[in-house]
Amino acid sequence: MALTYTAIATVTVGSGGASSITFSSIPQSYTDLLVKLSTRSNQASGPDYVYLQFNSNTSTSNYQGIFLRGNGSTVASSSNTTEGKIRAAITTTSGETTSTFSNCEIYIPNYTSSNNKSTSSDWVPENNATATFMGITAGLWTQTSAITSMQLSLSSGSFVQHSTAYLFGIRKD
Amino acid sequence: MAITKISNSGIYGTKYNDIAADNNYFETIAKIVVGSGGSSSVEFTSIPSTFTHLQVRYIAQTNRGTFGVESFKINVGVSSADTGANYTRHYLLGNGDSVAASADTSQTYWEGVNDFGTTTGGTFGAGVIDILDYANTNKYKTMRKFGGVDVNGTVGGVGGSAALVSSVWMSTSAIGYIKIAAMTNTLQQHSHFALYGVK
Repeated sequence: MALTYTAIATVTVGSGGASSITFSSIPQSYTDLLVKLSTRSNQASGPDYVYLQFNSNTSTSNYQGIFLRGNGSTVASSSNTTEGKIRAAITTTSGETTSTFSNCEIYIPNYTSSNNKSTSSDWVPENNATATFMGITAGLWTQTSAITSMQLSLSSGSFVQHSTAYLFGIRKD
Repeated sequence: MAITKISNSGIYGTKYNDIAADNNYFETIAKIVVGSGGSSSVEFTSIPSTFTHLQVRYIAQTNRGTFGVESFKINVGVSSADTGANYTRHYLLGNGDSVAASADTSQTYWEGVNDFGTTTGGTFGAGVIDILDYANTNKYKTMRKFGGVDVNGTVGGVGGSAALVSSVWMSTSAIGYIKIAAMTNTLQQHSHFALYGVK
C-alpha cells in the first residue's frame, strides 16, 4: 500500500498551557501538509484567532487571508492583509462550554513548490449556546521558499491543557 | 526528525512526539452500503479506541417526498446511542442565492442541514464528517461536517446547498458507537457510508 497519509508529529499541550505550537524541520518528502487542531484558549471571550506563520517569516506584507464565518445567527466575510500571519481559524475560548475544544483542519498543498503558498481551512469552535463562530478561510503566504516550519499562535490567549495539534504529510503516489 | 520548539517558557509538560513515518495512518474501519430495501439508519459499532481521529465519508439519498434535500440525524455513544440532551448544532450554509447561519443547543441528537439527497430530486448528497480526539477522555467531542447537495435547480421550490455543520457531544467518554439516520425518512439503496480511523 502506498504511504499516502502519514502522521509527522503530534503536540499535546501540558498543564501550564502554551502560547504557541511550532512544527519545525518539516520533511520535504511529501506533496501536501494537513494540520488537525483540537484547541481551546484561556481567553474569556472570542474571537481568539489561530494564527499561522511559516519559516519564522514575520513580514507584514507576506500574508493575506479571507474569512467566511457564521456566529450562530449571521454571516460575515472579512480579510486580513497586514498582520504578518494568516488568520487560519477561530478557537474555542474559556467562556464557552467547559471541556469543549475546537475542531479545525488546515490544508497546505504543494508546500515545497517554488510558487507562493496557498492554504485552506475549515473550523468550528463549538459551544452549547447560540453564539459561537465557525467558518472557512483561504490564506496566502507570498513567498516561494519551501515550508520547513510553521508556528500556530493565538491573537490574544494561550492554548490550554489538552489542546492538541497534529501534522500529517500527504503524498500523491 | 526533531519537532521541538515551544515559545512559552512557562509551560509545563507540553508533549511533542516524533512519529515513525513507515506506517499508513488512514485506515478503513468499516463500510456500509444500503441495500435494495432501504434502511432506517446505519450504525458503526464497537469502534476501536486505537486511532486518534475518526472520519466518516458518505454519499446518501432518502425517500423524502416533495423536496430534494433532507438533513441527517446523528447520535453517538460508548456502546449505544446517547439520546440525552447532549448535542448542539451550528451551521453556515449557502444555497446559491444567499447565506445563513443558525444554532440549536441541548438537543437529543446532532441535526445536520440538507445533508442528503432524495429520490424525489434524483440526486445524492455527499459529505465528510471529522471527529477529532474521539477517544480523549479529557474533552467533549466536537464534530465537523462539510458537504452538500445539488438538485439541478429546485425541487418543491427548494434548491440544493453547501454547508459547514458542527456539533459538540457533551461527554468526555470515548466514542465507540455512531448511528446515522435521516430526520424522518428512509435511507435508500446505494447510499454509502465509510468510517475511517486516522492515527
